[in-house]
Amino acid sequence: MATDLRISNISKIYPGCVANDNVSLQFKSGKIYALLGENGAGKSTLVKILSGVISPDNGEVFLNKKNLKLSSPLDAKKNKIGMVFQHFNLFETLSVFENLSIDATEDNKSLRVRINEILKKYNFSINLDVPVLNLSAGQKQKVEIIRCLLRSPKVLIMDEPTSVLTEQETEELFISLKKFCDEGILIIYITHKLKEVLSLCDEVAVMRKGKVVSVSQTQNEKVETLANKMVGQKLAKIKKKINISKNKDEIFKVKHLNFYSDDPFETNLVNLNFSVKKGECLGIAGISGNGQNELFQILSGEIITPDTSIIFRNKEIAKLNPKQRREYLMAFSPEDRISQAAVPELKIYENVALNNFKSSNFFEKGLVNERKIKEHSKKILSDFSVNTDNVELKSQFLSGGNLQKLILGRELITAPELLICYNPTWGLDVGAINYIHETLIKINDQEKSTILISTDTEELLKLSDRIAVIYKGKLSKIMPSEEVTPEKLGVLMGGGSID
Amino acid sequence: MVPLIKIEKRNDVPMALYFFTPFIAIILTILGGGIIFYILGFNPIEALKFYFITPISNLYGLSELLLKATPLCLIAIGLSFCFKSNNWNIGAEGQLTFGAIVGGGVALLFYNQEGFYILPLVILAGAIGGMIFALIPAILKTYFNTNEILVSLMLVYVSKLLLDYLVVGPWSNPEGFNFPETRQFSDSSRMPLLFEGLRIHAGIFLALAAVMLSWFILYKTYLGFQIKVSGLSLKTAKYAGFKGKTMILVVFMISGACAGLAGVGEITGPIGQLHRMISPDYGFTAIIVAFLGRLNPFGIIFASLVVALTYLGAETAQIFLQIPKYTGQVFQGMILFFLLASDYLLFFKVKILNLKKNELRH
Repeated sequence: MATDLRISNISKIYPGCVANDNVSLQFKSGKIYALLGENGAGKSTLVKILSGVISPDNGEVFLNKKNLKLSSPLDAKKNKIGMVFQHFNLFETLSVFENLSIDATEDNKSLRVRINEILKKYNFSINLDVPVLNLSAGQKQKVEIIRCLLRSPKVLIMDEPTSVLTEQETEELFISLKKFCDEGILIIYITHKLKEVLSLCDEVAVMRKGKVVSVSQTQNEKVETLANKMVGQKLAKIKKKINISKNKDEIFKVKHLNFYSDDPFETNLVNLNFSVKKGECLGIAGISGNGQNELFQILSGEIITPDTSIIFRNKEIAKLNPKQRREYLMAFSPEDRISQAAVPELKIYENVALNNFKSSNFFEKGLVNERKIKEHSKKILSDFSVNTDNVELKSQFLSGGNLQKLILGRELITAPELLICYNPTWGLDVGAINYIHETLIKINDQEKSTILISTDTEELLKLSDRIAVIYKGKLSKIMPSEEVTPEKLGVLMGGGSID
Repeated sequence: MVPLIKIEKRNDVPMALYFFTPFIAIILTILGGGIIFYILGFNPIEALKFYFITPISNLYGLSELLLKATPLCLIAIGLSFCFKSNNWNIGAEGQLTFGAIVGGGVALLFYNQEGFYILPLVILAGAIGGMIFALIPAILKTYFNTNEILVSLMLVYVSKLLLDYLVVGPWSNPEGFNFPETRQFSDSSRMPLLFEGLRIHAGIFLALAAVMLSWFILYKTYLGFQIKVSGLSLKTAKYAGFKGKTMILVVFMISGACAGLAGVGEITGPIGQLHRMISPDYGFTAIIVAFLGRLNPFGIIFASLVVALTYLGAETAQIFLQIPKYTGQVFQGMILFFLLASDYLLFFKVKILNLKKNELRH
């Protein structure tokens, strides 16, 4: 039976922000629909309304002409609307089967039979009796999908599903999604990755500032046209000129970096050796969870490993803490910008004071120099076009892009010789990504170096001079970026080998 | 129908309400107390009057109130440094006792001497004693990863037993007919009284100085900034490169010194010697004071007065209503309970969903 989902005049207003402004959309089974938009465009709000997590202030949802009352996630389930979130809702220490049986209505025996049928039908290879923590991200996602399929959904909503997947896993996912679609499941695919929209979806709705700004057939669209619709302005294309020069000095050199942890959720690092030249960007690719966290913390000095040697500007810094490393002109932008790089409850100027370098005079003789910190913060806000000039604002009220600009601004105001960043544009919108990328390129142009640890291959190819891949705590050989293709990276990131 | 309770975090908690909930907790405590008195067969209004009004209806009562608030305030100020930076020092009672032992030891050295220098020495010794005793859980935490809650709590019993041993053994008064107490301190080791005939003594200035100083440190210095950041996010503190271990040691030292001062204030103030019962659990009660005062130096002044009143009220109630003075602890417990409960409702909202039985499983 065909499914017809209609959203009619949905509005949701939060204090100070209209998240959904009179949104109307229509979906029919047999097609894959993309919901595209920057962060804060209102996609998540709409999805939360469809899955019953929040209720709209206004408007209605119709499934096959029936007006749905979605006041809790249970209502969504009952109406056969399935949802796979970006972050998995699985118990890591329970087995796959136990995870699936938690909210099942049938007995274990018939459940297992049904799961096996699904596995066979869609060619999923997952061992049902291993703990979930042993699965790759792609497999975990499959478990979530199976959970939805067990309830024979009419609508399947996928929220940014590829952010944790390799190229190969993404391809597999797309094949499955197309199969579901052929079987009559209506698929709504939420993303801000333009290429995925073009390769997977049939129709695309673009949202901006809470409104639907365009609905079109993907065959009539290109990456540029979609990007412009999403941002609402023409984007300048940026491309880095490759900055390879053989005889430049090595400014940063890591030898025998080993890290061993008892914690099963941490990754051990095995004998990493690499160096960065002046003015160069070294990219480190990899799927998240392959040791990037640990590597970042060792490079920043949050973790001190005993036998590692780290030479920076001809000095051994392996035993120094992050503050001391900053004095040698290193700067760090961690992945978790919300709760590590900044404290949401602190005001902007207090967050700026976290980078308390010697010449800043933020704290003279141990006393807070509030005037100085605020002056300095104002400068960062204007130099890095953060969209406020109120240094007293708590940083939790900044959007992701503005927060990242603030953090980069804070780190760069010392004119560091080396910036180490980890997923600097993760979850940001196209406008902010562009800005951050331009900033990172500018750093290299000024003969300063960067280490870019990222899970976004496109970003790495765009910005890096040389690229290595980290897989299960081991580093591949370092390759000049013009020799690297997305496919090659994908193979290495998935644990394969090339040439 | 099956009621299903759902608990959600509130996004915007107004600051004004955050500082107002302690008052709600106090009002609820008084109501709760009234109910308890009613069940016990007393006229609740009358009983509450004995509890909360009679004790402070004369000058002597007010002096007693300040006398009891002084140690509570001092200890809670110290604890606020620990709690704000996510260090759970539960052993202020032990630090108080050890401070009193060290300060009392010095005072006993001078038992038959007079001199203006003696009292400052005694006070200093008490602060250092408390500091050293607080350093034990701090060092064990920073270098051996022990849990400071357990260590600091268990050390309370160590110091209390040590005090017991000293007052019945080596330090007991040779002319004291084997009572478990030391000699009386000389007048030079005693806190000057503020008014003739009242017990309120100069220790209150120590508490007020601690309030001002802690406000300055917490809000105007780099140390205060580091404490604030570490309390909100340890991850960020690590990333910023704050010397986490040093900070833990420092906050424990501050906390221990304050508790030590409180102990020395008691023995050189109202008590005048060492014996077994130098503190009616001020060190534990101060934990309630610190939270009721929202870990804010000026909030703590207010909270220490409120909680001190529960001590006084319990004593009056014992006299006039013939109920044990431990009802004071009941009131303190209720304050903490209602404070935590109203905080919970402040930060979370509770929704009750009514579902039909079969809806639960789909």
